[in-house]
Amino acid sequence: MTAPLIFSQNVGLLFAVILGILFGLFLERGGLGNPHKLTGVFYLTDFTVPKVMFTAILVAASGLYLLSDFGLLDMSRVWIVPTFFWPQLVGGALFGIGFVISGYCPGTAVAGFASGRIDALLTVVGIGAGSLLFAVLYPLVEGFYMSSAMGGATLQKVLGINHWVIIIFLCVFAAVMFYLMERYERRG
Amino acid sequence: MGKNNFWSPYIAGVGLGLTLLATFYITGWGLGASSAFSLLTGVGVGRVSPEYAASLEYFTQYLNVEMPLKNWVLFEVAGLFLGAFAASLMSKSFKFKLDRPEHMKLQTRIITSLAGGILIGFASRLARGCTSGVALSGGAQLAIAGWIFVMAMFISGFIFAALFRRLWS
Repeated sequence: MTAPLIFSQNVGLLFAVILGILFGLFLERGGLGNPHKLTGVFYLTDFTVPKVMFTAILVAASGLYLLSDFGLLDMSRVWIVPTFFWPQLVGGALFGIGFVISGYCPGTAVAGFASGRIDALLTVVGIGAGSLLFAVLYPLVEGFYMSSAMGGATLQKVLGINHWVIIIFLCVFAAVMFYLMERYERRG
Repeated sequence: MGKNNFWSPYIAGVGLGLTLLATFYITGWGLGASSAFSLLTGVGVGRVSPEYAASLEYFTQYLNVEMPLKNWVLFEVAGLFLGAFAASLMSKSFKFKLDRPEHMKLQTRIITSLAGGILIGFASRLARGCTSGVALSGGAQLAIAGWIFVMAMFISGFIFAALFRRLWS
């Protein structure tokens, strides 16, 4: 049977909990419930975030495109994260500032709270308040929010090259980055 | 205690990547986080004042659903909490505290936790997701969205941290 598999809503929600438990387990055990480790990359003291993040992205990307190339997964039925160039660039930049100020991002704030951190709970409350702020200001930002829509654009489609060229390039980039980080951490 | 017993970041990264891959395989979409809090806020405002919530066009996507809380990302985030809670208990790293940089005052930490959260909440809605839904999930699909978000987040984070060195270091 070709993936993605399709289930009833209730079975889907059961998988949501199971996959979420694994998500939380790896975040917490990777040290990503700890705001000192989470912000370390921005101060060049701890590179846990890029190490976990790039490893995860490259494992998932390689697996996804291997499954697709072997016909085990139908990419046309996978929901590709839609691109809205400028809102995501500005959103990402604001997000980076909020990340450094609070010491968390949404998923890691949940992991931080789950390991007893009250500051992480405050950040979760703030995220709710920020969502409300967005909803209140939506009439003002809607034009920008909807601008520069590129649909399910991917790097391989835009650059017109095979996806494996991109994945291998990213793997080499990550390997060099990890090597430099390890060397820097050992020296520091 | 519990401070340095974390797993290798590469092991955690492989585990996280395989979890994300399993999510794509099973559901056809990726992992998320921030939208659960937007949903909860929308539903919460709807309980307090249905008229006001209905006037907020952005929240109608949650309120015009028969059972808004039967939401995939919300259940996944509940699982995330359980998984992280179990992991911190089993590794004996669970501890109630207001975690903050050494020299930061308690009041300052309360403000930075909340203010950073507000900025993250707003930015996640603008970007249509956060580090989970856009950076990890979109990045693994090689979606443009994921990679512009990752680059913008790191560049702005580095600049901000350089300007405010005393915040965490």
